[in-house]
Amino acid sequence: MIKMLTACGAGVNSSHQIKDAVETEMKNRGYDVSVNAQMIKDVNPDMMKGVQIFLPINHPDLGFDISIPEIDAGAILYRMPAMAKPVYDKIEEEIKKIQ
Amino acid sequence: MSETAIESLFDPKIVYVSSGTTRQEVFEEVSNDLVAKGYVKDTFLDNLNSREDAYPTGMDLSVVGSQYPNVAIPHTEANFVYKRRIVPVKLENPIEFHNMIEPSKTMSVRFLFMILNNDPEGQANVLAEIMDFLTQTPWDRLSHMFESDSAEEIYNFLRDNFDEK
Repeated sequence: MIKMLTACGAGVNSSHQIKDAVETEMKNRGYDVSVNAQMIKDVNPDMMKGVQIFLPINHPDLGFDISIPEIDAGAILYRMPAMAKPVYDKIEEEIKKIQ
Repeated sequence: MSETAIESLFDPKIVYVSSGTTRQEVFEEVSNDLVAKGYVKDTFLDNLNSREDAYPTGMDLSVVGSQYPNVAIPHTEANFVYKRRIVPVKLENPIEFHNMIEPSKTMSVRFLFMILNNDPEGQANVLAEIMDFLTQTPWDRLSHMFESDSAEEIYNFLRDNFDEK
């Protein structure tokens, strides 16, 4: 199981959409993943423990450094396959490196 | 429609056509009415503004088609609202928003889909449904909604064309 974390300003809409989309697409591609959706202001080093890929909407200032791969997932929000595919491909690439 | 089981995301009482000329003015006009009608807490406006400043919500729709006006999807954290609704706001004057995906960029916005969401885990994702509506409704129909200055017409269009999951 690959653990990812996504975050947006309110933790209500965008991050949950990214969570649902990435979990569905990666499952379709044959990977076992789980994505945690959070408010950016709640993300702290403790929450990042065990997370293997970070999927923000745009490079946010978390107030601390992270050492895991970060992939901007904002393009997924458009719900247009041509925009989402490059993001999914990058995620798959990182998953392959981890496995 | 199964409206007995799930309340619609749209409500004719909270569809707006605003003549405001600034983001703050439009947010205040809509928020005050939403508070008066019992949809949101009186702290809604503060959270709406501070969130929009820190995490902008402009969506550049030129990637969908060059003729599309840009929209924004302002919203707050879940605990500032009492209901799950989409609040359509036609802007008579274009208003500048920052781009959600590239916050350093600004864009001119003509329509808001303000999202009230008190239940992020529940049902289908509201933002995903808005984006599906905008990207999948044929432009020759969708253009009628963007061009309308009547809250009633906008509500009717959404009721008839927005596919609620």
